[in-house]
Amino acid sequence: MLRAEYKVEGGKLIKVQLTKQNDKIGSIKITGDFFMHPEEAIEGLEIALIGCPINEIVLASTIRNFINENKVILLGATPEDFAKCIIKAGGGSG
Amino acid sequence: MVERWRLLDTGLRDAFYNMALDEAIAIARSKNIVPNTIRFFRWEPSAVSIGYFQSMEEEVDIEACNRLGIDYVRRRTGGGAVYHDRDGELTYSLVVNEDHPLISRDFQKTYETLCSGLVRGLRLLGVPAEFKPINDIVVGGKKISGNAQTRGMGVVHQHGTILRDVNPKLMFTVLKVPSEKIRDKMIKAAEERVISIKSYLGREVSFEELKSALIKGFEESFNIRLLPGEITYFEEQMALKLKAEKYSTREWNFRR
Repeated sequence: MLRAEYKVEGGKLIKVQLTKQNDKIGSIKITGDFFMHPEEAIEGLEIALIGCPINEIVLASTIRNFINENKVILLGATPEDFAKCIIKAGGGSG
Repeated sequence: MVERWRLLDTGLRDAFYNMALDEAIAIARSKNIVPNTIRFFRWEPSAVSIGYFQSMEEEVDIEACNRLGIDYVRRRTGGGAVYHDRDGELTYSLVVNEDHPLISRDFQKTYETLCSGLVRGLRLLGVPAEFKPINDIVVGGKKISGNAQTRGMGVVHQHGTILRDVNPKLMFTVLKVPSEKIRDKMIKAAEERVISIKSYLGREVSFEELKSALIKGFEESFNIRLLPGEITYFEEQMALKLKAEKYSTREWNFRR
């Protein structure tokens, strides 16, 4: 299990736990003290990220697309912040 | 005519009931069974609540809580972990229809508007409170109130805490302090990030005095009248059901 914490400018903290499969996301859990509306969307986002290559630009656009398509509102964190935290957790080799 | 809202004061209740009743009021409001409502409540036993997106194991020292008889519960709102001291803290919740003029589609703006009642109430007590985005109220840069909001079923639900008195030692016994935040603040003592009404004013402000000031603050800020009311039968039954089936369950509290 790979883990990372990423502190967003302004104070919120994102935490990621993930497993990798062939350099892609095998499973992921995103936790933290940010706000997402509706709240239940977090589970859909985690599912949408499975199979996603661990590349910051691809991750950020995958998250942004999910947010736009599902009319999700994020407060205290951006798709780029989530992407950065995922890279921090799983960006290395192995 | 000035708009009338319902005022509830449910006193000391356990964490699971408190969170369940908040949701029950929101459901009742969505069905138009009850008017817009502000509720004051406290926690017995003292409790830790965590944000919807947080991990219980990562945020809370479960062993310390069990040892000290402190409850832990997941909220339906996002945001951070909070220690709710039985004797130190007052909690409020606010349930209002989403189509009310106070409510903006912009969440950030709505936080500021809804927090303005608390800010005004604290200032009436002589505490120079200010709103600090995203969801805090601060005095001289130190946090005195944290707030969290959710929406659904056409209803906005915001709840938050006001530190009347603070016990930082206990607070940081039951909360696992996020290391990065601490590092960020250059090893500044955790105690220095929060302030209570008592520590600012140098005197004890009773719960009754605090509630009176906040009632006035909400009334003046929102241009409403708060009329003391009762929980409806529907809300009580719904709260008991949500407590049993959701907020007191391991499945809910440890789901992330």
